[in-house]
Amino acid sequence: MKALLYKQFRLVCHPMTLVFVLFGAMLLIPSYPYTVAFFYAMLGLFFSFMQGREQRDADFSALLPIRKRDNVKAAVLFCVIIELASLAVAVPCAVLSARINPLGGNQVGLDANAALFAAAFLLYAVFNAVFLPCFYRSGYKVGTAFLKAMIPTTVAIVLCEASVHVPGLAWLNDTSAAGNLRQLPLLAAGAVLYAGLTLWAYHRSAVLYEKVDL
Amino acid sequence: MSNALEVRGLCKNYPAFTLKDVSFDVPQGAVVGFIGRNGAGKSTTLKSILGLVHPDGGEVRCFGQDVRQHEREFKESIGVVLGGIDFYPKKKVRTITDVTRRFYDNWDEEKYRYYLQLFHIDETKRVDQLSSGMRVKYLLALALSHNARLLLLDEPTSGLDPVSRDELVELFRAIVADGQRSILFSTHITSDLEKCASHITFIKDGAIFHSSSVAEFMAAYADRGATLEDIIVSVERRELDEGAII
Repeated sequence: MKALLYKQFRLVCHPMTLVFVLFGAMLLIPSYPYTVAFFYAMLGLFFSFMQGREQRDADFSALLPIRKRDNVKAAVLFCVIIELASLAVAVPCAVLSARINPLGGNQVGLDANAALFAAAFLLYAVFNAVFLPCFYRSGYKVGTAFLKAMIPTTVAIVLCEASVHVPGLAWLNDTSAAGNLRQLPLLAAGAVLYAGLTLWAYHRSAVLYEKVDL
Repeated sequence: MSNALEVRGLCKNYPAFTLKDVSFDVPQGAVVGFIGRNGAGKSTTLKSILGLVHPDGGEVRCFGQDVRQHEREFKESIGVVLGGIDFYPKKKVRTITDVTRRFYDNWDEEKYRYYLQLFHIDETKRVDQLSSGMRVKYLLALALSHNARLLLLDEPTSGLDPVSRDELVELFRAIVADGQRSILFSTHITSDLEKCASHITFIKDGAIFHSSSVAEFMAAYADRGATLEDIIVSVERRELDEGAII
């Protein structure tokens, strides 16, 4: 698996995927729909999958002494690394954003707090669950897979950002220590959902890809 | 002579094409020319052997082992060149090698350096900066560096100039000279076969038409022509429909 991950980063990864990982810095913008920062990581993954297809990575990998499902596992692990790295970059930016925001808080949607990261886990979970099986159904229709994944992900982005404007849900916008503590169960639920759906996406993708004629 | 590869009853159905009960052997130390016209089923057969497509039936054994049950060992022991497919064209040769060598337990770096020098391959070039012949040679260098005992080559000489083709067929002869390695290569260029093949497997409309040594093949179809090309053209040629609008 180490060799496959190495291949993924050296031969398949699009440079913009790594740049988009840094877009967690967008949380420093005083007012902005912060969940969009995580959309860029998904866009980066789309670029890498497209790059893999254009460079005939599937054919090359099929000739290596590995099982077909190992190739899927490496691609899913690659997604997980990119997604978690984007969150890791966003965490210090969120802490800083909560302290230095001149407006006192995000005027658009979710503030930079634990609830935002719960939303990020939810978005990545939805994206992985739709994008990966859709792509591995054919092994090459990366544009269709991204489009299909973006529909529920965009709906989730809108719902997450709008939620803080719903009366009674203002606590989702709290950036105080107590507020973050109250949001922790949401964060844990998001992480569990992310792990569960990504694992399911891997198994489903591996089964579908096994049937594909290259 | 034991067989490096045994293919038995390979079948694959597509809406517009069927691979029918394909069976043949690649004896150890042999260069087997897999010949047939465009669309005869050469690539589908090779892809079925490699597991790139799922055959509907049949069995493939490599050095006595079922390739589906021993997929990893099978792929460790083979080298593959798919003509006309360029992997990672914008990546440097050095980068691709650095990745590839990590997958093979028996990678021999010294051998790799030797083949790079022998084939005059510049590691710092990108794949798309190599000529077509050089790309085939690079893939052969990768295969030989992990001590592949069977080379499966899909139209490796197609699209190459006569000099490059001649160099490659000479290389094929040298590769099998020690009797330890075997080559199965598909082509529709009969002159390449005449120069290096010891055996011929001729596929026609998705079914094996004939499979034997070159000498037996020539003897069996002596009435059809004096050269491989004459025989194959004679077998394959279809009469033009006189009523057709041209």
